[in-house]
Order: sequence, then C-alpha cells, then structure tokens
Amino acid sequence: MSDQQALLAHYRALAQRDQPVLPLQQQAQQYLQQHGFPDKKIEDWHYTALNPLLEHAFTPASAMDETLELDRHTLGDLLLGNEESYQVVVYNGAYQSQLSKTRGLPAAVQIDSLQQALAGQDQTLMAHLGKLSGEGEHLFNALNTAYLQDGVYIRVPAGCKLDKPIEILHVSLSFSGALMAQPRHLVVLEAGAEASLVEHYASLGDSLCFNNMISEVFLAEQAKLHHARLQNESRQTRHLASLYIQQQQASQYHATSIAMGGLWSRIEFHNSLDAPGAEAWHAGLYMAGNAQLNNNHLKVLHRAAGCRSREVYKGILKGQGRAVFDGLVKVDIDAQQTHAHLSNANLLLSRDAEIDTKPILEIEADDVQCSHGTTVGQIDPELLFYLRARGIPEHQARQMICLGFAGDIVETLHWPPLRDYVEGLLQQRLQHITRIG
Amino acid sequence: MKQTSSLLSVNHLQASVDNKPILKGLNLEVKAGEIHAIMGPNGSGKSTFANVLAGHEDYTVSAGNIHYLGENLLDLSVEERAHKGIFLAFQYPVEIPGVNNMVFLRTALNAMRTAKGEDELSAPAFMKLIRKTLAELEMDDRLLKRAVNVGFSGGEKKRNEILQMALFQPRLAILDETDSGLDIDALRQVAKGVNKLRDPQRSMILVTHYQRLLDSIEPDYVHVMADGRIVRTGDKSLALELEDKGYSWITDEEAA
Repeated sequence: MSDQQALLAHYRALAQRDQPVLPLQQQAQQYLQQHGFPDKKIEDWHYTALNPLLEHAFTPASAMDETLELDRHTLGDLLLGNEESYQVVVYNGAYQSQLSKTRGLPAAVQIDSLQQALAGQDQTLMAHLGKLSGEGEHLFNALNTAYLQDGVYIRVPAGCKLDKPIEILHVSLSFSGALMAQPRHLVVLEAGAEASLVEHYASLGDSLCFNNMISEVFLAEQAKLHHARLQNESRQTRHLASLYIQQQQASQYHATSIAMGGLWSRIEFHNSLDAPGAEAWHAGLYMAGNAQLNNNHLKVLHRAAGCRSREVYKGILKGQGRAVFDGLVKVDIDAQQTHAHLSNANLLLSRDAEIDTKPILEIEADDVQCSHGTTVGQIDPELLFYLRARGIPEHQARQMICLGFAGDIVETLHWPPLRDYVEGLLQQRLQHITRIG
Repeated sequence: MKQTSSLLSVNHLQASVDNKPILKGLNLEVKAGEIHAIMGPNGSGKSTFANVLAGHEDYTVSAGNIHYLGENLLDLSVEERAHKGIFLAFQYPVEIPGVNNMVFLRTALNAMRTAKGEDELSAPAFMKLIRKTLAELEMDDRLLKRAVNVGFSGGEKKRNEILQMALFQPRLAILDETDSGLDIDALRQVAKGVNKLRDPQRSMILVTHYQRLLDSIEPDYVHVMADGRIVRTGDKSLALELEDKGYSWITDEEAA
C-alpha cells in the first residue's frame, strides 16, 4: 500500500467508526469509499498543493482522548468582546458550554451545541442540515459529514434583530499528535432576522492540527447577516473551511474573510442567490509568508433576477508565501438585471512570493452589469520615495503602503473590537518588510 | 559668494537617468534666507535637479558634489535629508490609497521629531498644531479626512504640499513646478502660503517654467537652465525678459 492509500484507509476507517445517525452521513460514507483525495487534475484543486494535508494521518480529538480543561484565563485575550458580544467557545471542534456566554439572549434565539440540538432532534436543524453541502464536494467535506459530531447551531427567529454580535472563538491544541477538529456549523436566519457573526480561528500553541470544517448558512426573505471570519492559526495548522450560503428574496449577506495564519489554508465560499433582490458582499484579505499556502475560493451563483453581488479580495504576499484566488461569478439565464463585480488585487513583496489568480465570470443572461479585474503588483517605488522624502523611514513607509492597500477590506469589518484586533495583527505582520520582502 | 554662509553648495554636478546624462556640470550656491528661481525650457534638467537634491534613487550622480549644512548631501538617505530640513514639494504628488492624510502628516512629523531627538507629538497636540497651520494658510480641513492625495484635484494636491511644508518647517524647500496646472485662485493661495513661510533661516528653490509664479513670490535670484547647466543668472528682471523674449533668446546664444 502506498502512503496515500494507507492514509485513505485511515480516513475511511474513521468514518465507519460510528453508526451513522442521518441518511446524509451514510451518503458521505459511501462517497469516502468511492473517492480518493482531490488532486491537481480537478480544476478546483489545480493550484492547491495537497502535500501538507497528506503528511500526517489526522485523528479527531474525540478519538484521541485529548482532555485539557480549558478556562477563560487560558484563552487570554482571544475573546474580543467583553460585554459587547454573545460568546461561544469551540475547542478542537467541540462546543464548550461552560466557556460560552449567551446570557441576555432573546428567548427565541437559539445558540446551541450542534450535538445537543441533534440529540434533541431539533426540527429546524433537521430540516436544514446538509441541505446545502450535500455529502460533500470533496473527500474532506465527506469526512466532516460522515464523522459529524459537534459545532454551533444558531437560529434567529423571524423579525428578530440581535443587539450584539455572536462571537465564536475556535481554538485548537494537540498534545499527542496529528489532531483533526471537524466543527460543523448551521446558521438559520428566518424572515427579516438580523445578526452579526464573528468567527475567530486561533491556536493555543503551535501544534499539529487540522481544522476541517463546514458551515451552512440559510438566509430567509429580508434576513441580513454580517459574517466576519478571521483565520489566524499557528504555523503548523492546516485549515480547510467550506461555507455554503443560501439566500432568499431581498436577503443580505456581508462577508469579510481575513486569512493570515496556518501552514496551509483553503477557504471556500459557495454562495447562491436563489430569489430576486438578494445581495451578497464578499470582502477578503489574505496574507502568506514563508512556507504558507493560502487558498481562497469563491463561488457566487446568481440564480434569480435583480440580485447584486460584489467580490473584492486582496492579497499581500511576502517571503516565499503562496496564495491562490479562484473566484467565480455565475449568472444563470433567468438572472436578468444582475449586478456583479469581481476584483482581486495582489501586492507581492518579494521575488519569491507567488499568486495564482483566476477570476471568472460565466454569464448566461443578456441584461446584466458585470465586471471583473485583477492586478498583481509590487510596492510602487514612487509612493515609497514620497513617504521617505517626508522623513518616514523606509520600513515604516512600506508598512504604511501595505496597510493602506488592505485598508478598504479591514474597513468592512463592522465590529470595532475585531477591526482593531485585525489592524494590530496586520501592523505586526507588516513590521519588518525589507526590500527583498 | 562666501562659503561660510552657504546653506547649499552644488559644484559641477553631473547626473543621469538610465545612463542618459541630464545634468552636465551644474553649479549653485544658496545662502540662508534666499529664494532662487530656476527657470528653463522643458527637458533642461530642472526637475532632475530637484529630485537629485531630495535623493531620488532613479538618478545617478556621476560627478561633482553637493554640500548642505557643511555635510556631503550625497551620503545621506532620502529620509535623512528630510530630517535635516530638505523638503521637496512634488510636481506630481502621488496618491497613497488607504492612508489617511492626517495619519500620514502626523507620522511624518513624528518621524522627523524622533530623528531630531524630540518627543513625538500626541494626537491632541498634533490636532492643535494642524488647526493653527491650516488657519495661517487659510485652508480648511477637508483634505485631512481623505486618503493622501487620492481623488484630490490638481490644486488640492499642491495645497497639500504647501500644508506639509508649513508643518515640517524645512531649512531648504524645493518647489518643483508647484505652479503648473493651477488656476489663478489656487496659484494665489499657494503663493500666499509660500510667502508666509519666507524666513531669514529658510531658503527656497522655485523650479518653474513660467514667470507668473514670480509675480507673487519675489525671488532674490533667477537662474536659467539649459541642457543640464545654469547658463544665466540674474535678478527678477531676468524672468521678465524671458517672458518677453522666450527661452530661445538664451539657449540660442548658448549654442552659438
């Protein structure tokens, strides 16, 4: 058996370990038996070197007997809101109710452990779970689904406007080897509901972890969700996130994805605008330095008339950092009067940094306003000269130019504690950029 | 001129861009408090000279030397020159997306203060200073809230340069075609700002193509540049003569 086959057998065995609860899990198990790892021949994975995921046989925390008693002190300042947010802590993929603070939450709003909601056969949960993701688009999705255990379940009832953001802090840590966390989130906003969701992925130390997660988000008529996502995990961490968003009439989805951590990271947004007047805004900022690979995949499907979407992703790459931007906006034949604008801009701070960017518009309707654009550039020497001529030292001038470049993406973070936190992280990461990046 | 009182002394300066010689033996002495206008046709090397003084790295100095406050200027980095009081008002101020103008001004001012061993200005102290400076220049604070030069009109960009000059209080200000592209009102405001900054301790070099700036800012000396050298020096009447007769009057004479 080759290493890859042995690894495949490892993951197949994991998926078989529990009796599946849901038909969906059976389908995922079948998928796993029939499929191998995604490879470069699949277009979606063409630029995503998979090696960092195949170097270790990752095992779910629950099968490893990893038990660290977490307390809020251990989390330090990773939780960003004090009284300004409802807080949920997820540790190695498991919901930590003793660390979560949802006091004051309107009675009809549910923020629960997915495991508990599943055990209680929550009707809304059962009606939505897996409806967008299916058994999975690739082996890792199927693995999450087949092994489905825990995560966060959020339901905001019709007309309810949450007063504070829901802050989900994901932390991971492994003592005994290659650990896999597989959180599974489900978010349902009923008609006219409004909420803000902040997800923060961090590490408690630099250990060998693989976060393999799926989120499904359902936005009913007129619902509005702000969804900020910060991936700032440690240098050994692998992060694979598949997010599925479905929007009904006149709903609004505002996403900001900031990805700067991990050895290997792949974030997929599958956003479908299914009814007229839906709007989706995707802002993204990715950074990669030495030994980091950062993948960003965006699929926005316009399936109904009169929807709008805007996708703006920016990347800053230094050292030998590598990133991929793969953005697709697809406009169905019935989606007339679509407005869609897709753009990707990259700043390369060294010769060895690399970006593969592929923005694509696929348009079948004829009455639309769509555009796309890509830029890849370096720090403009004239900008640098201007700042230095004003007495600003070269390294600080470079930092200012990079922060300015990222500025409009950071601005889209609507929750000030997160915006300040991200600004601080960027300042640190961009502190010592030399002429060779 | 006496060497001792000289702020800037340029001797036989030769400089090139991409191996193309532009400055071909330029001499200039500037003493404290003097205003020198450098005029000349397009391509004579005026802007190159301004950029060489500020330390632009695209220009290679192949011969000659520049002494500034008794130091070899060519040994100093771009930012060190700024710290020592050299200020270039750009012909084309660049746009810096995402960098707030106020943050930029404060960062620059504090970088200079730090270099001089002074304490950084706090945000409130800076606000007070900038309000006072704006009032003196009769400018409003609209430009402060926007990204540096982004979407500024030509006049706003030049006003922003004058604001910086007023804030940084340089010893030697080099104004590179600050008058170009300005309408009469903008020109008047810019000239007013420059005149307010005249000081016995501050010298200025005005690089200009046209005489009209010199109607409002009276220079002590007018130099005419042609083919990388200063070919004629006089007082402000020289500028008027040039306006009347055109540059060919001098450049033809040179060629003959």
